[in-house]
Amino acid sequence: MKSRSIVALAAVTALSLTGCAMGGTGPAATSAPAVTASAKPTGSITVWSWDVAATALKRLATEYQSSHPDTTIDVVDIGYDNAYDKISVGLQAGSGLPDLVTIETDHASGYLSQFPQGFVKLDSVIGDKKADFDPSKWAAATGTDGGIYMVPWDSGTVALYYRSDYLKAAGVDPNSLTTWDALIAAGERIKATTGHTLMSIDVSSGATFGMLMQQQGAWIFDAQGNVSVNSPQAVQALTVLKTIHDKGLLKNVKGWDGRVSSTKAGDSAVHPEAVWWIGTLESEMKELSGKFGVVPLPAFGDSARTAANGGSNLAVPAQAKNPTLAADFAAWVLADAKNQASMMEKEGLFPAYLPALTEPIFNQPDKYFGGQKVYQLFAEQTAKIPPVNFTGDAAKASDIVGNAVVAAVLNGKDPKTVLDDAAKQIATATGRQIAG
Amino acid sequence: MKRLGLVAAYAALALGAVVSLLPFWWMAIASTHTTSELFATPLPWLPGPQLLENLARLEQSTEFARVMLNSLGIAVVYTIFSTLVSAMAGYGLAKFRFRGRGVLLGLVLLTMMIPMQVLLVPLFQMMASIGWIDSYQAVILPFLANAFGIFLMRQAFLDFPDSLVEASRIDGAGELRTFYRVVLPVALPQLAALVIYTFMSQWNAFIWPLLMLNTETSYTVPLALNRMIGLTHVDYSGLMLGSLLATLPLLLVFLFFQKQFIAGLLGGAVKG
Amino acid sequence: MSAAAMRAGGRVRSSTRLGRRLARPGLWFSLPALALFALFFAYPLFASLLQSFFTTKGGVSRPVGAANYVRLTEDPLVAQSLVNALIILVVQVPLMIVLALGIAYVLNQSWLRWRTGFRLAYFLPAVTTLVAYSVVFRVMLATDGGLVNQLLGVVGVPPVDWLNNEVWAKVALIASITWRWTGYNMVIILAGLQAIPAEQYEAARVDGAGRWATFSQVVVPQLRAVLVFTTVTSTIGALQLFDENFILTGGGPNNATLTPVLYLYKVAFRQFDFGYANAIAWLLVVIITIASALQFWFTRDRDARPRKAVR
Repeated sequence: MKSRSIVALAAVTALSLTGCAMGGTGPAATSAPAVTASAKPTGSITVWSWDVAATALKRLATEYQSSHPDTTIDVVDIGYDNAYDKISVGLQAGSGLPDLVTIETDHASGYLSQFPQGFVKLDSVIGDKKADFDPSKWAAATGTDGGIYMVPWDSGTVALYYRSDYLKAAGVDPNSLTTWDALIAAGERIKATTGHTLMSIDVSSGATFGMLMQQQGAWIFDAQGNVSVNSPQAVQALTVLKTIHDKGLLKNVKGWDGRVSSTKAGDSAVHPEAVWWIGTLESEMKELSGKFGVVPLPAFGDSARTAANGGSNLAVPAQAKNPTLAADFAAWVLADAKNQASMMEKEGLFPAYLPALTEPIFNQPDKYFGGQKVYQLFAEQTAKIPPVNFTGDAAKASDIVGNAVVAAVLNGKDPKTVLDDAAKQIATATGRQIAG
Repeated sequence: MKRLGLVAAYAALALGAVVSLLPFWWMAIASTHTTSELFATPLPWLPGPQLLENLARLEQSTEFARVMLNSLGIAVVYTIFSTLVSAMAGYGLAKFRFRGRGVLLGLVLLTMMIPMQVLLVPLFQMMASIGWIDSYQAVILPFLANAFGIFLMRQAFLDFPDSLVEASRIDGAGELRTFYRVVLPVALPQLAALVIYTFMSQWNAFIWPLLMLNTETSYTVPLALNRMIGLTHVDYSGLMLGSLLATLPLLLVFLFFQKQFIAGLLGGAVKG
Repeated sequence: MSAAAMRAGGRVRSSTRLGRRLARPGLWFSLPALALFALFFAYPLFASLLQSFFTTKGGVSRPVGAANYVRLTEDPLVAQSLVNALIILVVQVPLMIVLALGIAYVLNQSWLRWRTGFRLAYFLPAVTTLVAYSVVFRVMLATDGGLVNQLLGVVGVPPVDWLNNEVWAKVALIASITWRWTGYNMVIILAGLQAIPAEQYEAARVDGAGRWATFSQVVVPQLRAVLVFTTVTSTIGALQLFDENFILTGGGPNNATLTPVLYLYKVAFRQFDFGYANAIAWLLVVIITIASALQFWFTRDRDARPRKAVR
């Protein structure tokens, strides 16, 4: 066949043209590159980020350049919505990435396990600072070989936001909400007095379920990487959500938009959300100033009273042309109390760098919360976030878990049964063992 | 009876138009409010006073005027060349038999059938290895030969009478001359549809320009608008205003080229 | 009629007569497109096919033979995404083509006033940028206080949980696709209507054909090539559905709106299993090829009655 040989010829020509024998297999290096700390890095780097994070980096880049002559930092806002497509294509293609990229915590493990040679090891730069960072963030930024590959940026420390007016009307003391059972009981009272539901959450996202597992130190996978989504802690977490729904105390909403709209409309009395929710409240719901307060999450027995939801890191791709300067800049911005505190003050990014949390700004009363020192509360909880093992398969598991949560909470199935089933599905999809 | 039918026809058309336009009405309303107001329940249905503030913020945070010009330049260049390539190839495929015709037809169909998503990485590798990343030629060139456009023009030319081509040839006209003097004018309506489609597809192109462009000042409109969607804050009012402004050039292109449909109207329509 | 021409849905008469004598100009006319495709797509297509026989674990790629293709047959999500796409295809494509044809036909009538305005109104949805589309439709379809439910409330219909119910999510998806693409197909059909010579209408009138007979016996047969184009491209669009469900539902609830391309996107870009994603892609190529071939075959010119050329 004539035509077939032409296609083959064209393909071979294109192949030799690009010099890539295999379409997208990533870099060929066998061990992860590392960076050595340099006393005086020079040259220029490009940084990809988004949103207020990009704003913060642009501001600090100017300061860095003036204190470090012969350096140029170019920060590009690539937009958040499809940033990972851009980053993934660059990693897979083995080219096209800048010197420094922003990666969220829940994406970190996936990248590190799939592209173990894709990032520069940063042990020589921040390896000695493990104790200074949010432990859950440090765990997520650690590679499969135990090295540290990303500098943790901001923490998504979770607490319980509450409508003080609703609680007051129902005679509920927010400080009494120390366990989930207590919260559910209070929810029934609030519903009876004010007619409001207890919580507005997006059931299908599985995020709230994840928080409730994490505060007990449990997650979809255990420390050994086995599937543990049907652990007693997980069943307990799902049962709480199911109980809240079955008692008519749950309002199911869609996505971030739905949570914002529902909060603004005043549908529900409490919101288990991360620290960045403060920014959302203060910018989209100015009219509700003075009506919110914050307490730590209710506990399961003696579990932690916080979890993590969100937060980012900076990582140096192995393709970086100037990894030394990139690593130095990342450490200068993120492993520094003053700079981290300035990002809290100006851009609302809550530091994962614990020494920053003693800066005066975290000790100030917040008018929006009726003068409560909310940041102090989050600062106290950040070091207590239980680290969990995201593994490289979190993305594979997340849809399965979301469907299981919907089945139990909204469609009335038994939590233990759906989680056992989900565990089997995850085990099949990932080739992992079921724990226990 | 006939009058009743007419009223019914207009009523049905108007209803359909309202359904089509409803989301645009809301986009327009949203452009005149603060983002905070767009989270209210129920949603606002009437204009607010924030239009100018939103416009100023849009320009300040995305350099909107500049990215509109970027997009315009890319889309115009792309449309001219892509339309020409499509029309020529469509004509060649519809009217001639030649070696390689099967290969071309196969490639056209294959690039239509395979999901773009799996071609992104190897195409990206090619662009990276020739050093074209962050350049406009990398945005434009790979998709200049457009399978849908070629297929559209091929179908359009299939019905074109051979006799006209032969007559032109008997008059001593060369092949190119026949093409643009005889063939293209007859296919003007389809060509106009192709121009509209081509301009639109490049104007709204998102994922490929996102992968190729790494400099904020060289962004296209969809990339700039994408910047307004943040992690914990989305500037919805600015986004809606920007999207609305972004449709204006497309409207002008549509209005200008759809005249070609009217040009043939006297010949083609049923007089009611 | 040669088999090749039939496969391509072409009219043999024209391509052979000119074609035999004039092979070279055809190549020259097609050369720019051929060169561009060879330069930019030969390698990516080849790489994609090659990679479907590889798997990557921990950054190391190794050949696995046909394992990715075997996995296709065992993966319930592949089956479910194909069924979803098929349901959407069977309901949405005929609905949209009939709507587009009807609208285009009416908007082509010379008695109609405000033609340009109507055309603009119907075409506008097609020009929306994706980012605006995503925001507007989430607002429109929100369960509480969404515009659609507000309007339904006016006529006494209780709120519908559009995006969280497995059936309604499909309905919402089909409605959103139809909203976005009907006007686009209308424009192509409108352009095709313009190419119908006036004599055909005259002839029908002389024969005493009524409005419906004119439409079904003159207009529709004359639009054959255009209708084949819109049907085939819409079918490909439905089988490759990605944008709308990615934005509106993410494939949920419970995978009710998961489509093959959305699934392969998740496999490639969320799970980084590019080898398997490529296998899904090539399975889809085979399915689309079969679907398109069937459509060409069913819409072929059965009576092959010679058509009058414009003189």
